[in-house]
Amino acid sequence: MSGLVQQLVLGLLLGGVYTGIALGFGLVWGVLNIVNLTHGALVLCGAYLTWWLFSSFGIDPFLGLLPAAGVLFVIGYALQRLVINRVIRAPLLFTFLLTFGVNLVIVNLLLLIFKADFRSVTPHYAGSGLEAGGVTVPYIRLAALSISLLLAVGLAAVLNRTRVGAAIQAVAADREAAQLVGVDLAHTYALTFAIGAACAGVAGGLISMIQSITPGSSGQYTLTAFVVVILGGLGRVSATVVGGLIFGLVEIFAQSNSHIGAGYSNAIAFGLMVIVVSIRPRGLMGRLSGTAPGV
Amino acid sequence: MSERAGLIRRVLLGVAAAILTVVMVMPLTSTETAQSWGLPLMTDKLWFRVATTVAMFVVLSSAWNIIGGMTGYAAFGNVAFFGVGAYSTAFLVANLHVPFAIALLAAPGVAALFAIAIGLPLLRLRGHYFAIATLGVSVAVAEVVNNVEPLGGSNGIFLPIVRSDLLFFYLMAATAILAVAVSWLVLRTRFGYGLLAIRENEEAAAVIGINTTFYKVSAFALAAALTGLAGGVFAQWNVFINAENVFPVDYNVQMILMAVLGGSGTALGPVIGAVTLEALIQAFASGGEFAVWSQVGLGILLATTVIFVPRGILDFFGGQSRLTVQYLRNSLRRTGV
Repeated sequence: MSGLVQQLVLGLLLGGVYTGIALGFGLVWGVLNIVNLTHGALVLCGAYLTWWLFSSFGIDPFLGLLPAAGVLFVIGYALQRLVINRVIRAPLLFTFLLTFGVNLVIVNLLLLIFKADFRSVTPHYAGSGLEAGGVTVPYIRLAALSISLLLAVGLAAVLNRTRVGAAIQAVAADREAAQLVGVDLAHTYALTFAIGAACAGVAGGLISMIQSITPGSSGQYTLTAFVVVILGGLGRVSATVVGGLIFGLVEIFAQSNSHIGAGYSNAIAFGLMVIVVSIRPRGLMGRLSGTAPGV
Repeated sequence: MSERAGLIRRVLLGVAAAILTVVMVMPLTSTETAQSWGLPLMTDKLWFRVATTVAMFVVLSSAWNIIGGMTGYAAFGNVAFFGVGAYSTAFLVANLHVPFAIALLAAPGVAALFAIAIGLPLLRLRGHYFAIATLGVSVAVAEVVNNVEPLGGSNGIFLPIVRSDLLFFYLMAATAILAVAVSWLVLRTRFGYGLLAIRENEEAAAVIGINTTFYKVSAFALAAALTGLAGGVFAQWNVFINAENVFPVDYNVQMILMAVLGGSGTALGPVIGAVTLEALIQAFASGGEFAVWSQVGLGILLATTVIFVPRGILDFFGGQSRLTVQYLRNSLRRTGV
């Protein structure tokens, strides 16, 4: 029994991290209609920044999340404004290829700077956790889940309670109409991407405390984000949270099942995704296309 | 102007035909007969490796072009068919001792059946969803293959060695010519017009009486068969296959980049793209830090192609467009904010 509860807890905790990875990806996809293949590289940037601040200056990784978010916000704004805005109206294949190219550039620059070695952030409280009734809850993972949920709530608040959020939702609903009422398209696109990148930066910081990081993982993060967003559905922050938690649970249960084992984790994730998409193309909680994103 | 463009085009076609002839004849200088006549050896191991790889990518990008370029369905997992073809041939040759010539024929068949099976549900999806669902299938198939014991599991499959650079070069080149010929034919038939109509507007295509499901699945199966055939040749050529070397995710992107770089939706575009890009990749191929920089270069090439020459290099050879500052500026204006 406690084994089952332990798996449930671990699944939810892992799902929290997955939610963090997927939040920015879902925002960019929903608003800009771009499947951002650079996302994993942005997550990596956040992870390496947190690692660098921790290992060189001894800055606590949770404190390091703030500069990670800030730096990624700036990188994201510049990337969208200077590069991706150039093909924003092109067919999807082109944005796909463009973001893949940018991903290649960033990942290989990271490889040149940090080498292919596995790095991890290990503060002194890394091993400790909460224990109750035979169930262990590692502090760091619990904090990661909390921060991911906070990030989701914050993102929803920005989208629904601020002027910037209103502009972003307007652009997502109808570009031309938004432009007519005075929304600066180029700026709003860049801002949306910047917010997405900042979320990626925070998620990266969280990952660096939980797993070892290496430049080769970029694609895996992007795929994770994709599966989570598809499972939950596009255009809602809460859908991403649900998708992330479900994905985390499925993965933990699949890994601990002796008949399936860890070898099939990607196959299960994609199998699940293909089934969901075939039955219900807009995901479990997604909005129909053409409606504004929201909570 | 148009007369001059026509002349340029004829000259370029002539040059291309001449180069192709030389490339196809060059390997013959390595045969014993040619050597006994005292002909200079014009090829070596590396030459064969590069030329066969180029031919392989011509197949992959031409095949992708049928579903991606002509039908407008951005398949991102075509490498699955390559792997399925390679494993079909390898399994028959290594485990059931079927002669290679017969086992090779199974590769396109199995790949096409696989494409029909996944195409029926997946081709209902559009845009990004289709792209990622196919990518997911390719990742998932690789993982399943890696875990199934009869297929060698993570150890892969070893085939009996066939040492003949000449055979595999001509086999792959023949597959490439087949792929280009099929593309050329498709573009000139009712079937091809149906695919283009689906690309431009699927609802309108359905309204004028095109059975869109049948057309899409057929295009997908056709692409899969060609890709699978290349996989089958690769399996015997490379002697050893495993999930890593026949399902590389990079190939998914490379074949698309080649088609787009050359000009997607045309018969010759993928060929030009494959030869250009593979030549660039091979020219920069080396170990260490330089390899990392060449990846950075590839990324920048990808980005600039997409931004500035979205219709591909072939666009400049039709006599309609010329590479000018104005052309680049128009590319930006057409797709920018």
